[in-house]
Amino acid sequence: MNPMTAGLIGISVFFLLIALKMPIAYAMALVGFIGFASLTTLSAAFALVSTELFSAFANYSLSVIPMFIWMGFLAYYAGIGARLYNLAYKLVGHLPGGLAIATQATCALFGAVCGSNTATAATIGAIALPEMQKYKYDPSLSTASVAAGGALGVLIPPSVIFIVYGIAAEQSVGRLFLAGIVPGFLLMFLYMLAIYLVARRRPELGPPGPKFGWVERFKALGSGLFEVLVIFVISLGGLFAGWFTPTEAGAVGVAGVVLVTALQGGLTLEIIKNSLADTTRTTAMIMLLVGSAVIFGRFIAISRIPFAMADWAAALDLPAFAVIALILLIYLVLGCFIDALALILLTIPIFLPVAVTVLGYDPIWFGVIIVMVVAMGVITPPVGMNVYIVKGVAKTVPLELIFKGIWPFLVAIFVCLTLLISFPQLATFLPSLLH
Amino acid sequence: MQHFERAIIKISRFIDLMAGVVLAATAILVVTNILGRVLLNRPILGTFELVGFLTAAVVGLALARCALENSHIAISFLTDKLSLSWQRFTELVVGLPAMFFLFFAAYNMFTYGLRLASSGVVSSTIRLPFYPFIYLLSAGFFMLATTVLLSLIKQVTGGKTK
Repeated sequence: MNPMTAGLIGISVFFLLIALKMPIAYAMALVGFIGFASLTTLSAAFALVSTELFSAFANYSLSVIPMFIWMGFLAYYAGIGARLYNLAYKLVGHLPGGLAIATQATCALFGAVCGSNTATAATIGAIALPEMQKYKYDPSLSTASVAAGGALGVLIPPSVIFIVYGIAAEQSVGRLFLAGIVPGFLLMFLYMLAIYLVARRRPELGPPGPKFGWVERFKALGSGLFEVLVIFVISLGGLFAGWFTPTEAGAVGVAGVVLVTALQGGLTLEIIKNSLADTTRTTAMIMLLVGSAVIFGRFIAISRIPFAMADWAAALDLPAFAVIALILLIYLVLGCFIDALALILLTIPIFLPVAVTVLGYDPIWFGVIIVMVVAMGVITPPVGMNVYIVKGVAKTVPLELIFKGIWPFLVAIFVCLTLLISFPQLATFLPSLLH
Repeated sequence: MQHFERAIIKISRFIDLMAGVVLAATAILVVTNILGRVLLNRPILGTFELVGFLTAAVVGLALARCALENSHIAISFLTDKLSLSWQRFTELVVGLPAMFFLFFAAYNMFTYGLRLASSGVVSSTIRLPFYPFIYLLSAGFFMLATTVLLSLIKQVTGGKTK
């Protein structure tokens, strides 16, 4: 069979299987195995399954994933999110939409110790939603602000999605982490601006909360921000300074959260046990996706689809930004249906050569853009993961109402994307300092 | 059937607990290595290799419980719109090939481990053999396949879906 035809059939069968609810990891491995066998030999495909899966899992570079996930779950169970919200609440809670604005700051700061957007949405949702309910916030604004804010963590390091992109695109995790900082905080400010403008126009959506004196604000600063800064500086600071490998930075982050929590007298065996249980489950899910994507990627590579895509893009008589816009549109549509991690693993072997080799874009910048676009998928229907997480916390709020409140945040992401495309230095400046 | 289900759940939970212990040990190893390197100028030899092997062990031990708790990502918004009997049918249609593939992957990995054991392949720094970790991963895939089998049996016998 013609390799291209086999590749296209394989991709179609893959989409059919996942539409029928086969777990994405199983579908990638199964289609990858059969496709690879059809284009090479059965024995080569046998060898592919055993050697590639073992090599993928027994890989020091991938051991960074469980470390940062554990760090995030420890922070989640240790109550760091609650202390951060207390701080943000006291600083900006009195503004129109102030509690939703405080939610964004909390999500961004919590994202600095947590690599998972769902954990961030669940943590901050459980803290911020009851508070916003107390001050009679419209549920569409309160729930949507938590769902959107939860996704800020994908840009602010440590970010598991950046780690997975780094593995798929063979890019430095440290550089990717640095590249996400400015766009992450820029998006946070745009979210805050969107909330402020919405609440100014319709004050009934987000009535102001109570105003606190500076003494109380300073007290909150000491407990909330200080611990996050300490953990962030020793863990990621060491990574950026070149003292630690990403895995070491993750393990140091774990030790940092354990130490800070123990010093505050809050460390219990329950926290360790629960955080480990969540971590092993999430790790198994992500690593199986990564291993399966390697098998699928080998099949796609020998089908020559990436080369055909690159040739096609080179032959197009379109400016580079138009091709990138087209790629982003594909990600945007697929991101509405497929989980962000799976989508990145699935598509990077196909689109990265087009963006980097043919169009000459910086792979780090491309990573930031792609991560931001797929992160939109966690708040857009029908598979907006964060929206479902928030729905789990705010059980009485209908899903449609949460999705209705998402619009101002989607506009903010579009503005942020436009700025990043117009000024790539927003993402590339910090990593360039590592040279 | 109930005994089978209970056994699968118990084993999956136990090996997942072991995965947590291995992960905690890995983090301790990494931090101890940093302290040894920075404070005593004596890093722990073979940390790089060990961490890789231990990560494979964590994954192998955690796969089954992850599946039992439906945590492997799947898209359900299309099949959710089908009637219950069609949902059962589609779960069988995709579950059977998935189960056979996972059993096959477990077996394939086991034979790979046997080959490496007989050829005596070891890691380059601390001369640690690869095969015990490959066997562990193979066992993890076997348990994962068994959880899919359990789910399929429930579909066929009309038991409560996971």
